Amino acid sequence: MTTTHHHAHHFASANDEFEAAKQGMWVFLVTEVLMFGGLFVAYGIFRGLYPDMFHEAHKFLAVNMGATNTLVLILSSITMVLAVTATQRGRRDRAVLFLVLTFLLAGCFLVVKYFEYAHKFHEGLLPGGYFVNQELKDPKAPLFFSLYFVMTGLHMVHVLVGMGLIAWLFRRTARGEFGPQYYTPVELVGFYWHFVDLVWIYLFPLLYLVG
Amino acid sequence: METQKPAQESHGHHHILSTEVALGVGFALLLLTGLTVWIAGVDLGRLNFLVALLVASVKAALVALFFMNLLYDRRENGVIFGTSFLFLAIFLVLTATDLFFRGDVAVKGPLTAFAQSKTAQPKVARPWVATPLLLSQGKMLYSQQCVACHGPEGKGDGPAAGSLTPAPRDFTRAGGWKNGRKPSQVFKTLVEGIPGSAMAPYGTLPAEDRWALAHFVLSLGEAPEADTDEDLLKVGIDVKGGGQVVQEAPSIPLEVAMRRLTRPEPRAAKVGAKIEAESAGGRLYLARCASCHGEAGEGAIARVSGTLDAVRLRTAPLSASQAVGSPAIFESIVSNGLPGLMPGLASLNGTQLSELREHVRKLVAAQQ
Repeated sequence: MTTTHHHAHHFASANDEFEAAKQGMWVFLVTEVLMFGGLFVAYGIFRGLYPDMFHEAHKFLAVNMGATNTLVLILSSITMVLAVTATQRGRRDRAVLFLVLTFLLAGCFLVVKYFEYAHKFHEGLLPGGYFVNQELKDPKAPLFFSLYFVMTGLHMVHVLVGMGLIAWLFRRTARGEFGPQYYTPVELVGFYWHFVDLVWIYLFPLLYLVG
Repeated sequence: METQKPAQESHGHHHILSTEVALGVGFALLLLTGLTVWIAGVDLGRLNFLVALLVASVKAALVALFFMNLLYDRRENGVIFGTSFLFLAIFLVLTATDLFFRGDVAVKGPLTAFAQSKTAQPKVARPWVATPLLLSQGKMLYSQQCVACHGPEGKGDGPAAGSLTPAPRDFTRAGGWKNGRKPSQVFKTLVEGIPGSAMAPYGTLPAEDRWALAHFVLSLGEAPEADTDEDLLKVGIDVKGGGQVVQEAPSIPLEVAMRRLTRPEPRAAKVGAKIEAESAGGRLYLARCASCHGEAGEGAIARVSGTLDAVRLRTAPLSASQAVGSPAIFESIVSNGLPGLMPGLASLNGTQLSELREHVRKLVAAQQ
């Protein structure tokens, strides 16, 4: 039971519109790869220059919280996929359910992140010039935490945007705007969400596990 | 291809991922997460990093191929996405091959083999013998360290020379060299400086560099007398024994020097009271330190303006320095200098150092 979607007039068919939108999304994701990539290159260079400092500093990160967040994001990717397939199959109620679950799991990620950051602030493990921790003595340590906060912070901003998009999808799905004939926004927001998961899949080991 | 035909145009990539595959891939991702956490606890040395990256890449591939549908989608999308990683790799590799192969920066870590500074590995076995290589090395060093006082042609007419008494040595003339004009004697001058003049010791330069400078400076005038074995023995070279026995003055690590450079501008000190040179420390200070640090340690423009590199050295008031509180730091800085910034007074003995420190302490107290 979907509202009929009329494809834009400059496309020959609804399918062309769908393929074009999808490819546009992939091109956007390429720009995202290079954006996070810049930060990863910075990480790589400074890690190569100060490997001992990175090793010392990474011990101050909470691995269990990072691992929990990894599991949370993977679960949210599963529910996101299931939301997309439910929409493709016309199962609106299930689609709504899975979208809500994805949203809640994203919320969990933020909660864990909140506790992580709060602990860092409490310990004085802050970026750059604000670093005041007494235990970690390496003079270059603020550099590690600059990278940590910028990389996870930028990622967190992406999670927030994703949550907004999922909420938008939830509203439109509940109003019956999607179905087997037209599910493009659901699929594409799904891609965005999987990309956010993908970035975290690299962030977690590089920051928390191997320092 | 598609399990459910949409009402309108049904061709195209509308693959619906089956629930089994979705859950299976998801489960695999959870398992791989556990694996990567576990294996991080196993010490594999260098491999830990590679293994972590490998597991992460497998997970990423699963997400991209199944969750993001690339396995079933038109080829272009996969190529587009893959190309971004290619460009990222170019970004990383080109940056790394530049940075980690620069020879002029001393870095710590496993890449040190690629980034050794010249000071760490003397290349010349017998630097007390002049060679074209040493001469060109000396020329480069001269243009950085000496030209400000001794002038571009070594005539003692550099931009900073005008205010100096005695005037800087004119290398084109043979007469008047305080220590003599043999290479070992010029080397000695570079080690000790000339007390009572503005010629500072350059103990922080590695021995090879000092020999290179000696040879270059002598090449500006007529050919010098050769060193005898006894001459060389006086500067710590045992020619028969085949080696250099002089103790190298240790230089401070780059990080420490950088940290000192990045300290914020200190607030202007209250004008220090003029303290007469009644003590031995005071006399030493006025002779060796005041020209750069100011008569009352208030800081000054070191008379090195207008060098080839347009470097202007302005010293901060001595009260801003950490050195005065700690005898060890003070002696280290004064004896060894700060590379590139301050020459060291390697010839001072312990008594002179503590007298100097006492005087500086008085100056700093007056500035508070």
